Amino acid sequence: MKKEILVCLFMTVLAATSGCGLRGSEAVRNEEMEGMTMPRSSVRASRPSSPIRSISLPHDEAFAPPGPGRAAFVTDCVVCHSPRYITDQPSFSRTVWKGIVQKMMDAYGAHVTTADAEEIVNYLVATDGAHRAGGEDE
Amino acid sequence: MTPTANGQESTTNDSCVAAVTRRGILRVAAALAPGILLGQQNSSVLARRPADPRRMVRFPEKRELVLQTDRPPQLETPLHYFRQDLTPNDAFFVRWHLAGIPTQVDRCSFRLQIDGHVQRSLSLSLDDLRQRFPPASVIAIAQCSGNSRSLFKPRVAGAQWRHGAMGNARWTGVRLRDLLEAAGIRAGAVDVSFDGLDEPPLNSIPDLVKSLAVDHARSPDVLIAYEMNGEPLPMLNGFPLRLVVPGWYATYWVKALCHITVLDRAFDGYWMAKAYRIPNNAKGAEIPDHLATDTVPINRFTVRSIFVRPEPDEQLVIGRPYEIEGVAFDYGAGIHRVEVSLDNGLRWMDARLDPELGKYSFRRWRFRWSPPSRGQHQLLARATNNEGVGQPTQHWNRGGFMRTLIEDVQVNVV
Repeated sequence: MKKEILVCLFMTVLAATSGCGLRGSEAVRNEEMEGMTMPRSSVRASRPSSPIRSISLPHDEAFAPPGPGRAAFVTDCVVCHSPRYITDQPSFSRTVWKGIVQKMMDAYGAHVTTADAEEIVNYLVATDGAHRAGGEDE
Repeated sequence: MTPTANGQESTTNDSCVAAVTRRGILRVAAALAPGILLGQQNSSVLARRPADPRRMVRFPEKRELVLQTDRPPQLETPLHYFRQDLTPNDAFFVRWHLAGIPTQVDRCSFRLQIDGHVQRSLSLSLDDLRQRFPPASVIAIAQCSGNSRSLFKPRVAGAQWRHGAMGNARWTGVRLRDLLEAAGIRAGAVDVSFDGLDEPPLNSIPDLVKSLAVDHARSPDVLIAYEMNGEPLPMLNGFPLRLVVPGWYATYWVKALCHITVLDRAFDGYWMAKAYRIPNNAKGAEIPDHLATDTVPINRFTVRSIFVRPEPDEQLVIGRPYEIEGVAFDYGAGIHRVEVSLDNGLRWMDARLDPELGKYSFRRWRFRWSPPSRGQHQLLARATNNEGVGQPTQHWNRGGFMRTLIEDVQVNVV
């Protein structure tokens, strides 16, 4: 019990000095008065009433265009990144696409079987980046 | 690089803040309401800035930006924002590598860890950084290694940026050197590595960790920024802390920085040893048929100069004076000269340079031109820095990195 009170007192002192904790809003007012030389907007933005800053990302993924090997692509590639990683690409040869898939497997450990890799390369060649993917870029 | 403190100013240097801010306000006004400020011009002509056909998107805390990829987010700044000396935070480009990006930060429980080859490990809160270390500020360009990659010929894989994978901002925070001194670097330190809150979507994907040589880390130029243009950083630009390495590509500017490790050996993580490698020559150049075998980690900027206006395919009016405008920059030696050519590089004429805002900042240049004839015209611009480094007519590498080619813009005169 005594320990809890001590912790509580400590937290209050901490809050008053740091702006973090239960008395955060009071600390905001104090700092605003002391920090008159700082731009108000800066003080206010850096001392929000909630210590949590968060965003929620929009879901805006490109549709993986139809083509041979689409299933392998959607299963193995889209788990880590958006289909837009291919629909925004220029036209590349089979050799280049093969190299890219190999890099995903070797450097990043993509869960791609040898059979799937073949399928995925076929898909990438068939959809050909932005050109036959109905891509919106360029 | 031989960094000095010259490019840095104290946060209380109000005259500089005011100068930039005033100019910035004028530029914003000019961008938003050209018809008001340039009333003598025909508004139908001003409306001819061609719309960017690429897909625009709004992400949290951001204006509409050009969508490169959505997961992880890669968003490009539209060209017209570079009419302002400082790029607005909500228009500043976004580039993450790994889908596990931080979407929530508790500014009270957040701690920056400093450990490794030091006398005492530190765990610092955001308030510790503000209260225990003197603030430092610098105006510096964050530029993606692959900025302008879509212009490489032959084309190369990667995000297909135009010129908007960069931005110029005033960064305020603490000097990395001060933190390292507080921790006490032990003898024999070699590299310092930097890790952020972002996480790979698979365990097999190497976490994004970058490193600097210990001497570079100890230079006064390198900051840990808690503010960008006087505000906390947007989440997508690395709230709450971002490493700022002026004159070096943004791959080193680790976002949501949370862990600094001093090493007594060379750092050999994937993102230094395998990725972001360039041919081992000053401009990072190679040719497609003979790829370089000797490569090094990408490092400082090349010399660049880009057109801000006119924009590609903009329509100008014959005989009507037009102020061509652009920005030039380099790795911190400073821009000495920018020249414009109207005849495909036969003759070059000096552009006027605006006052320098700092050696790591955009340097604005202007050139007044009255289009002499109707039809398509090609304009070229090239910069030379204070060390005599200029821009080449040929430049390519397989990564689409370190663009430094002389840029052109096509305009249509009616």
